[in-house]
Amino acid sequence: MIEYLSNPVFWVGLGQIIIVNIVLSGDNAVVIALASRSLPARQQKQAIIWGSVAAIVLRVILTIVAVEMLKLPYLKLIGAFLLFYIAIQLLIPESDAEDGITSNGNLMAAIRTILIADLVMSLDNVIGVAAAAKGDNLLMMLGLAISIPLIIFGSTIILRLMERFPVIITGGAALLGWVAGEMLVSDPVLIDWIATNMPWMHIRLPLVSDISWAQILGIALVVGAGKFLASRAAKAGSTVVDLAEAEQRSASN
Amino acid sequence: MLKVLVPVDGSDNSRRAVQFLIQNASFYKEPLEIHLLNVRHPLPGTIRGVHREAEQHHHDAGLQALAETRRLLDGQGLKYVYHIVVGAPGESIARFVNDQQIQQVVMGTRGLGSVAAMLMGSVASEVLRLVDVPVLLVK
Repeated sequence: MIEYLSNPVFWVGLGQIIIVNIVLSGDNAVVIALASRSLPARQQKQAIIWGSVAAIVLRVILTIVAVEMLKLPYLKLIGAFLLFYIAIQLLIPESDAEDGITSNGNLMAAIRTILIADLVMSLDNVIGVAAAAKGDNLLMMLGLAISIPLIIFGSTIILRLMERFPVIITGGAALLGWVAGEMLVSDPVLIDWIATNMPWMHIRLPLVSDISWAQILGIALVVGAGKFLASRAAKAGSTVVDLAEAEQRSASN
Repeated sequence: MLKVLVPVDGSDNSRRAVQFLIQNASFYKEPLEIHLLNVRHPLPGTIRGVHREAEQHHHDAGLQALAETRRLLDGQGLKYVYHIVVGAPGESIARFVNDQQIQQVVMGTRGLGSVAAMLMGSVASEVLRLVDVPVLLVK
């Protein structure tokens, strides 16, 4: 146990899992909080509780499934591409093309939004943690455990953190690119092929575990593509919406 | 009327920028048309299906950030227009300056997210880089 805990690889993995969770459980918590915003207080509590329970149950199920599935060929490959997609999504602002189904104060509509979001976001979270855990089941379980309080209690804090220090989002996305890159080259289908045809892929570092070019490229890809697509989306937005305009215009009329 | 923009993020520095404007309004030849702008950083794109609620949240958070400076201006009986916009801060401020034909920007050197050791925050730097009108920096 002592050797296990004194291995820096474990702590690096744990640190990565904490950051992955802050971003990928955090946004789940934020959706739950926002979706229940327009509800009356008592229903709000219900929506938050049910939303959180659903998110946790989904995470447990998906974690168990993921641990087994990632041993299969091609799964890490698929997971890596999903992670790249998720990481880039983090950097592109929420789009306008939405169907605001929850703002009629309906509890069922809010719960529906929350459940759909929970499903997608739990998958995101589990893949992210799986990539950072690199097959270590203890880390996987810790990742799961850490996500629970974040979902239940985290929404307000994380929302504030994300707004005040947007670098957390960029950092989280970069980290996802890093772990996705590593997961990509560790797929059993690719390992031998890379070892033979791309021997330069792995970089030996003296004190820490080896890293690979895939990880570095992963970060570059995510941050590059993310920033590019984000600025393109910003320029494409024809008019900037001033959220304070309506109330001042009606006040002066 | 001289159109002046004060970007406000709820930090002490942006409050000082508004206080400076209040104290020195008489320095200007023309009466001022004061615009306050709070730029909110967008939520990560993985957040879906809650667009209207997110907008409401941005609106409320923006009002909170603007509250103190609005109180100061109200206390002096000064008229102003306030704006809340979602986007990258530097870009959004520059875009507002261009769209609204703002003639001068008065802003703090550092905001909420800045590191104290830096000479000037990244938002102030970016605004300086992107706008063509005079920018008055208040420390």
